[in-house]
Amino acid sequence: MAEKLLEIKNLKQYFNQGKPNEVRAVDDISFDIYKGETLGLVGESGCGKSTTGRTIIRLYDATDGQVIYDGINVHDKKSKNDLKTFNRKMQMIFQDPYASLNPRMKVLDIIAEGLDIHGLVKNSKERKERVVELLETVGLNREHADRYAHEFSGGQRQRLGIARALAVNPEFIIADEPISALDVSIQAQVVNLLKELQEEKGLTYLFIAHDLSMVKYISDRIGVMYFGKLVELAPAEDLYNNPMHPYTQSLLSAIPLPDPNYERTRVRKSYDPASHNYQDGEEIAMREVTPGHFVYCSEKEFATLQAISN
Amino acid sequence: MEKILEVNDLELSFHTFAGEVKAIRGVNFDLKKGETLAIVGESGSGKSVTTKAIMRLLPESSSEFKNGQILFNGKDLTKLSDKEMQKIRGKDISMIFQDPMTSLNPTMTIGNQIMEPILKHQKVSKTEARKVAVDLLRLVGMPKPEARIKQYPHQFSGGQRQRIVIAIALACNPQILIADEPTTALDVTIQAQILELMKDLQKKIDTSIIFITHDLGVVANVADRVAVMYGGKIVEIGTVDEIFYNPQHPYTWGLLSSMPSLDTAEAKLYAIPGTPPDLLYPPKGDAFALRSDYALKIDLEEAPPFFKVSDTHSAATWLLHPDAPEVEPPLAIVERMKKFPGSRYYEGTEGGTY
Ligand SMILES: Nc1ncnc2c1ncn2[C@@H]1O[C@H](COP(=O)(O)OP(=O)(O)O)[C@@H](O)[C@H]1O
Ligand SMILES: Nc1ncnc2c1ncn2[C@@H]1O[C@H](COP(=O)(O)OP(=O)(O)O)[C@@H](O)[C@H]1O
Ligand SMILES: [Mg+2]
Ligand SMILES: [Mg+2]
Repeated sequence: MAEKLLEIKNLKQYFNQGKPNEVRAVDDISFDIYKGETLGLVGESGCGKSTTGRTIIRLYDATDGQVIYDGINVHDKKSKNDLKTFNRKMQMIFQDPYASLNPRMKVLDIIAEGLDIHGLVKNSKERKERVVELLETVGLNREHADRYAHEFSGGQRQRLGIARALAVNPEFIIADEPISALDVSIQAQVVNLLKELQEEKGLTYLFIAHDLSMVKYISDRIGVMYFGKLVELAPAEDLYNNPMHPYTQSLLSAIPLPDPNYERTRVRKSYDPASHNYQDGEEIAMREVTPGHFVYCSEKEFATLQAISN
Repeated sequence: MEKILEVNDLELSFHTFAGEVKAIRGVNFDLKKGETLAIVGESGSGKSVTTKAIMRLLPESSSEFKNGQILFNGKDLTKLSDKEMQKIRGKDISMIFQDPMTSLNPTMTIGNQIMEPILKHQKVSKTEARKVAVDLLRLVGMPKPEARIKQYPHQFSGGQRQRIVIAIALACNPQILIADEPTTALDVTIQAQILELMKDLQKKIDTSIIFITHDLGVVANVADRVAVMYGGKIVEIGTVDEIFYNPQHPYTWGLLSSMPSLDTAEAKLYAIPGTPPDLLYPPKGDAFALRSDYALKIDLEEAPPFFKVSDTHSAATWLLHPDAPEVEPPLAIVERMKKFPGSRYYEGTEGGTY
């Protein structure tokens, strides 16, 4: 098995804890992310994908649980220096390229922000050269450095977001719906770019999306979230060919594909959480049904799933 | 089938600081009774402007109608007074937008918002209008409609708001419903429900629908016919099967190839190179030529006319000219064509599943 880069253990993120408006945005989830892989995270809006990403990268303090990066718990108390190192290793790309880039800043300064914070360049000449190099890496060029973010199209802005994340030579990138706001053909450009960069630099991705067609294409493994819980985790192919949790089945059956014949016969399944009929005291947990294919289920459901799978 | 709408030679510009943006550069299509026509194409290709022109919703100060006709049941909408147009808008032709919040009034109960067009366009009492509003809400699948008509938009979820917007749009049984990216902001399961709802309602009230989207999966699901737009023009139009299984324009090829297919593990996705044309300076010939691997010399000089592929299918590409060289479409497209009787790659026996 590949080497673990991150271990997420019993992670919880409750907003407004103890108050009537408490939201269990992330409710006790555990999974690993392997070095060099892309782990896709899907589920409907509000199920806790962004909160998971933001808690991992420490934009939020976890309510409970651990995020272990290369053997060290990210959420432990740490010196300023250690924190800085983590911040450099983990970077985030956001969905909305418009909102996440300051329109009144020059591209040069947007991209160099991380370089400045981490003291990665010695002088302004080196700074400019590094920015130009980054622009070229993401398919833009030297001339773009002196322009403002608002002068760029959606796809170009997403490239700027990627260049900014790459500036500090991270190992791990959380991409939160990086292509959701883009046109189909531009989505393909950005996804290709992310894949190329991964191969070149050995990057590890957590790729958050609600659009499921691209996720399958880019991910090695995919996790499915439902109301703060991880309900299924499996290799991408396996998840699509053999979804086991009824929620995953429902989600996949709802995706329209660019194939009219398929669309004429597609039958949508709906998911009713009550259909599990869980009894009091029954332990519901992630269980490995087939190698690498985990399902959130009861002991009884587990037995049934295993019987079907063998 | 009976034509309910005909758009002929539509040309439209915007006047901006930078100059004249030639947003619509000769658009022709028709809409038949009871059908769904999908318009696809990347952002900026002119989908919204085309439909806003039909609704006469473009800003008067900056937009210029240059040429064309928009015939609704034979009547040219471009010639109507504002007052006459108001009688049609929201009654005979209505529209739903991507973001339901922009079309709902946050300070007004949803009941009053649904009743508004009914009271405006139909001679009914308030009590009757309220009854219709409740029925409409039930029709679009809102639970407990009698209680909920008294609530405000913020008390509903995104999917429910889009149902309310649909209820408003349907209030006067429109002959044409224009839906501009109505499900783009919604989750797939909610999207699926809304699409099912729209198809269901269409059967019940026999409305014609113009459905704008950039999601080709949604197109395959809802459309009877598809118009592909690029750079202010329609470049290909045909039945949904013709567009998905026998596409002819290189732009349609690019669009269809940039979606990952289900069963193949391509190393790299096809991405159309470059950027869409700047409509301040629209290119002379085929607007897609500069981004196309299939461009011919003539593409840079002269805009291609429409060539007929079948009675229902035509495409504006010089590749269909009898003197053009025969080219091999991208692999993913050839795979699609194998399923289409009548394409030169067809691999089945006639009279099979089609
Ligand atoms: N800062 C916050 N304060 C309170 N609730 C929040 C906050 N951020 C997110 N939530 C809630 O947590 C849940 C999960 O949200 P989010 O992680 O953004 O979901 P997703 O990214 O899957 O759409 C939602 O119910 C959301 O309203
Ligand atoms: N009010 C406006 N003023 C100037 N240009 C506009 C205006 N509305 C649209 N345009 C331009 O018209 C073209 C077509 O836009 P639109 O129809 O909105 O595209 P889409 O296919 O994404 O719906 C674009 O180049 C756009 O920038
Ligand atoms: Mg999110
Ligand atoms: Mg639009």
